Amino acid sequence: MTTATTQDWLLDNTLAPTVDGDSLAPLYEAARRGELALPFCAGCAQPLELDQEICDRCGAPESDWRAVELRGTVHAATLMHRREPGLVRAQSPYPLVDIELDSGHRLVMTTVQPTDTALLIGTAVSIGFRHLGDVAIPAIDTTEDQ
Amino acid sequence: MSAPDVDLVGLGMTAMSLRPGATPLHLAAEASAAALADAQIDGSEIDGLLVGSSQGVRPDRLGVGFAAAGGFADLRLLEHVEIKGATTIAMIQRARHAIVTGEASTVLCVFADAPLVAGKGAGSTYAQSGGNSGVRGLERASGLLGSVPTYALLAQRWLHTTGTDVAALRSVAVTARRWAQGNPDAVNREPLDEAGYDASPMIAEPLRLLDCARPVNGAVAVVLTARPSIGSARLRVRGTGRQHPVRRRRAGAESWFGGGRRAVDDALEQAGMSRSDLDIAELYDPFSIVTLLLLDEYQLTGDAPAGHFVRDGQLGPGGALPTNTGGGQLSGFYLQGMTPLAEAVVQLRGDGGKRQVPNAAVALVGGIGGRLDHHAALVLERAA
Repeated sequence: MTTATTQDWLLDNTLAPTVDGDSLAPLYEAARRGELALPFCAGCAQPLELDQEICDRCGAPESDWRAVELRGTVHAATLMHRREPGLVRAQSPYPLVDIELDSGHRLVMTTVQPTDTALLIGTAVSIGFRHLGDVAIPAIDTTEDQ
Repeated sequence: MSAPDVDLVGLGMTAMSLRPGATPLHLAAEASAAALADAQIDGSEIDGLLVGSSQGVRPDRLGVGFAAAGGFADLRLLEHVEIKGATTIAMIQRARHAIVTGEASTVLCVFADAPLVAGKGAGSTYAQSGGNSGVRGLERASGLLGSVPTYALLAQRWLHTTGTDVAALRSVAVTARRWAQGNPDAVNREPLDEAGYDASPMIAEPLRLLDCARPVNGAVAVVLTARPSIGSARLRVRGTGRQHPVRRRRAGAESWFGGGRRAVDDALEQAGMSRSDLDIAELYDPFSIVTLLLLDEYQLTGDAPAGHFVRDGQLGPGGALPTNTGGGQLSGFYLQGMTPLAEAVVQLRGDGGKRQVPNAAVALVGGIGGRLDHHAALVLERAA
C-alpha cells in the first residue's frame, strides 16, 4: 500500500499514467517493485517495442515482459526549457534523455533527481524510478561519472 | 492507350490566421470555393472529394461530412485521407489514380486545420494533448510534452551523428524568414538576422522558438483533372513516390533517419527526371532540423554536406536549390502538407511576386509524417 502520495520534482500528478487496463500495465506493476520489465518476443527473445504485437524477426505473436538490467547508455539528450504551466512543476530546464538499455530496448526518461545539465551521447547510466502520483516511472538514477 | 495527364488546375487558400475563429468546416468551405473559382468551374463539376485534417487537437475536425456541408452534388469518390504529414501528397496520389482509372474526372482535395483555440497558446495546445495511456502516456509522464522535445532529441542525434555544426539550424531559420518577407501569406515577415535568432527563446535544446513551425488556422484546396477544358494555369503531376520506413526503436540502431530517399527516387523516375531538373524544393519543415535532415536524406545537396549547403546560402534566393520559398512552415504558415504544395503552385505559376524564383518550372514537393516515419514526394511541372 502506498502511504501519502509524494510529489514528483518535475511533473504534476495529473500526468500520472493510467495503469489499470493499460497496455503498459506490466511495466508499471514491475516498477512498483523497483524492477524494469520490458517486452521480449516469446518465440525468439528479441527485444520488442512497448506497443509491438508481432515479432519482426520470427513473426511470433506473443511477448513476455521480463525484468532487465537497470543499465543503459545515452542515445540522445535534450534540456527542455519550455515548462507547460500546470503540468511542469520544476522551475528550471529539465532533462529528457533517450536511453539505449543494455536489454536492447529504448526508453525516453528524465532523471530521478532534479538536474539542469544535459547528458552527452554515449554516457553510461543506471536506471531508477521516480513517482508520479502512485505510479513508479523509470528514470535515470546515476551516470558513470558520479 | 496511354494514361491521361493529370493536372492541378485550381488553388484556393484562406487567410492564414494566428487567432482562434472559424471552424475547420468553415475554413474548408472558403478554400474550396476559392479553388473552384481559380479553376473557373462550379461545384457541380467536382465528382471526387478528398478531405484531410490533422489528428486529434480538435474534436470538430474535417471529415467526409464536408460533401454535404460543402454543397457538393453526387460524388463518385469521397474519402478522408490520413497519413499524418504525408496526407496532402497522398491525396494527390489518390486523385491522380482515380482520374487515370476513370473512377472520377475532377477531384477537389481540401485540408483544413484550426489548432488555435481561445485562451491557449499553440504550445500549450500541443503540450496538453496526448493523454495518459499507452506509450504516449509513459512519455508524457517523463516530461515529453508536445512534439518539440522529440524533434529536439532527433536534432541532437542527427547533429552528433553527421558532425553538423548546430549553427546550420540558424541558417535554415534565417533563410526561411528571408523568403517569407516576400510572401504576403506568411505570418512571420519581420526581418530576422542571426542576432535575432539567437535571442529567440530556447524551447528544447537545440531548438529555439524560431526553429519551430508557426501553427495557424486555415485551409488550402486544390483541384485536379485530366479534362483539357478546365482551368487556365495548369501544372502537371509528373511523379509521386512514398516511403514508410518501418524502423524500430532498439539499442544500436537509428530510429529517426535513414529512410525516405526512395520516395524522391520514385517520384523522379516516374517523371523521367533527375535531381538536377529540380528548380525549387518545397519541403515539409515543422522544425529547422527537418529541412537539414531531408536535404541529406533526399540527396539534394550534391556532394556538399547539408550543413555546408545551408550555410553557403544554397537554399536562399539565387542559391543552387531555392527551398521553402514562401518561408515554409517555419516563417510562412504551418498547414501541414498544404504549405509546401501551395508554395509550389504559386512559384510554378509565376505568381510569387517578390519571392518569385526566375523560370521555376519543376518543383519537388515533400511531405513527412510522424517521427519521420512517412515520406511522400511529388514532382510538379508547369504544363507547356
